[in-house]
Amino acid sequence: MTWREVAHLSDVAYGELSFQAIYASKQGNLAPPGPAKDAVARARRRSMQSKAVVSFVLVLLALGAAFALRVASTRGKYLPSGTIPLGAFQAGVITALLALELAFLWWAGMQILPTFLSSGALPVLEALPIDERTLRRTAGVLYLRMFDLPALTILLATPLAIGLVLGPLAGLAVVPGAFAVVGLSLALALITGRYFLRRVQGSRGGGGATIVRWTYLVLWLVPVFSMFLFVVAAPAFLTWLGHLAENPPNLETHLLFLAFPFALATLPALVANGPFGLGLDPAGWAFLGLGIAIYVSLAAWALVWVLESVRRVGTIPALAELPPVVAPVRLRPQRPVLAVLTKDLRIASRTPGYAFLILLPILDAVAIGLLTYVSPSGTSTSLSIALAAVATAAVLATFFGPAFFAIEVFAFSYGRTLPLADRTLIFGKTFIVAAMYLIAATTVLGIALARIFEPAVFAAFILAELPGVAAAAFLELGLLYRRARRRGLPITNLYANAWFSFVVSIPGVFMAGLPLVVFGIVGMRGFDVGVLAMAIFALIELAMCSAFALRGRDR
Amino acid sequence: MVAESVPLSVEDLSVVYGERRAVDHLTFSVRPGEIYGLLGSNGAGKTSTIKSIVGLVKPVGGRLLVFGRDVAQEPLRVKEDLGYVPETSLLYEALTPREFLEFVAGVRHLDPKVATERTQTYVAAFRLEQEFDEPIMSLSNGTRQKVLLIGALLHQPPLLVLDEPLNSLDPRSVRIMKDLLLGYAADHGRGVLFSTHTMEVAEQLCHRVGILDRGVLRGEGSLAELRAKGESGDATLEEIFLRLTEEGDGVREAVASLGGRG
Repeated sequence: MTWREVAHLSDVAYGELSFQAIYASKQGNLAPPGPAKDAVARARRRSMQSKAVVSFVLVLLALGAAFALRVASTRGKYLPSGTIPLGAFQAGVITALLALELAFLWWAGMQILPTFLSSGALPVLEALPIDERTLRRTAGVLYLRMFDLPALTILLATPLAIGLVLGPLAGLAVVPGAFAVVGLSLALALITGRYFLRRVQGSRGGGGATIVRWTYLVLWLVPVFSMFLFVVAAPAFLTWLGHLAENPPNLETHLLFLAFPFALATLPALVANGPFGLGLDPAGWAFLGLGIAIYVSLAAWALVWVLESVRRVGTIPALAELPPVVAPVRLRPQRPVLAVLTKDLRIASRTPGYAFLILLPILDAVAIGLLTYVSPSGTSTSLSIALAAVATAAVLATFFGPAFFAIEVFAFSYGRTLPLADRTLIFGKTFIVAAMYLIAATTVLGIALARIFEPAVFAAFILAELPGVAAAAFLELGLLYRRARRRGLPITNLYANAWFSFVVSIPGVFMAGLPLVVFGIVGMRGFDVGVLAMAIFALIELAMCSAFALRGRDR
Repeated sequence: MVAESVPLSVEDLSVVYGERRAVDHLTFSVRPGEIYGLLGSNGAGKTSTIKSIVGLVKPVGGRLLVFGRDVAQEPLRVKEDLGYVPETSLLYEALTPREFLEFVAGVRHLDPKVATERTQTYVAAFRLEQEFDEPIMSLSNGTRQKVLLIGALLHQPPLLVLDEPLNSLDPRSVRIMKDLLLGYAADHGRGVLFSTHTMEVAEQLCHRVGILDRGVLRGEGSLAELRAKGESGDATLEEIFLRLTEEGDGVREAVASLGGRG
């Protein structure tokens, strides 16, 4: 078959994939009224909107990096404390950009993969009289189509943003970096997604297995999260770069040129500024050249591997064979709200995307909390960092809160046949969001205990924000639930309704952020007064938002 | 006014998808202690009727009463009295049967001891012990169907609504299920609504059947009543079905065109 036929087949499969992602008919939800052609077209549009959201965030990242480079060039000062060569600073910023792009595309891929595998879009083709090579190519092209807009955004927006600030040649010089990011993230999404399906999603139930599953999830998130941690720790990284620049080239600097994605980020900085004193002796050049060659080759190989492997990953049984085990049949039913919460946590523990959403605020709190050890113990800086960690946890928990409704998409139609009140569902989801915030904030408290004055006051700050977090969750869930009921759609899933989840998150984050703003304003008169005002404000928000979410007749 | 002892009363039900009328002014009831079979070809409107009863589809007209309670007015209360097995095995794929049944039992406020005892009975009957802690996504269709059946029976609902419940089950489980349903309906005046397009199963199990064709009820009654109405002597349910749905000639023509005995 020709590539034209491959394009046609992959287009048909992509239509089915979009349809399942949006309408989840394989989960028993009714197909929308009207001709199937229109429904598929609508599903395609929605999928494109979701990809547009991912691309929008990627554009923001590129613009953010360009802004940082621009400000540094204008001011001639590159660090709050001390200076580093401009080129090293630029390499640092571009490193952060590439790392974030990789993490984001990888993460987005992990969200999509379960839908891709469960849609059955590929196994349908297997039964048709199509030759092996065409099937392989079709699967590869289908996989690429799932990432087309975000991948193109990285390939275009990154050089454009860098080129805008550092010149066209520097923009061109970042193309290998952008290419490596795309190639590696697509491969990582496929590998990790597959791994999760086999080892995590397919694992047995039971207490011990649950702990093992969550441990796997934490371990597996570390690579993604380390990118995030890298950005959080960017000032320390830049300081380290400055320190390296002050000293003669050594093994440390040479190894840095081998590290991903610094090697690729150095190239545009070199083009813009020439050698900038970061150990670029002959050995340094060799390491840099080697690093670039390795990562570009690896990315090219990864892309070829992805194209060749998608079919195998998409069609063979996803779960590992397990030896038979018989445990006593005993049920421990819980109250309905707790049953919803437990069910969601159990599903999340086998679904990487959702597990990531639960773990992100907690891991973020750990990362920022650890920064308190950078500042002197007991200083106001330590407290500010700890407070910032709590505030970030609140915002992250509520920003991703609606996503938890996504879990309802699995067998949602079955859930609707149970005597499960809307308010029970909303309470269950709000408990998860509140628990995520509390665990994250308590983790910060635990980490920063030795670094801050008056831990009791800090604990009061954590508790004062809690009603604000719950209010945000109520508001977002109330909005989501009304829309889903009105349209008769499964509540949402990240891939299908990313745009609406994103839009709904804005008032939610606003709601969670307002008590923090109140603290910022009133807290100038004293920490205690600030916490009190914050608590009162958050409680008023909670009363209003819970009334909004829970009003109306239960169905 | 419908007496509260009537498990299910469907009155003038209509369901429309876009331009297509899936169910057209359908009326029937399931009496206490009765297994009522809803028969029909693919697309006859069986699943749409059932989905309306369990609250998955909003009808455009008519009324549905479960033990005298209106499905549209008291959906939560009605769902407490219902046990539902869907046509396709809709389950939370990322849970194990144990986790799924714990969730169902929790939502239905079941006592742990009662839930455990009932589950043990059904798990043993369906020989599910080995799969009880496996993720549902790894289970066969038949095993998923068994999990759904246990989920529907766990709270011993006074009305069971089963959409093609014997699909994918092995012969042993089919036999168990048939005996179980016969005993279940007779006990405490419960009702069972059962959709199928397998005539033999309907003949063996159902006290009465309703024959649906393109959303319209073409005939209703026990096998004897249907024979009497159609003056069809000792006709099988399949023959009655084909005559009522006016598909007999069509079937003969189709078989002849395929080279069989038309």
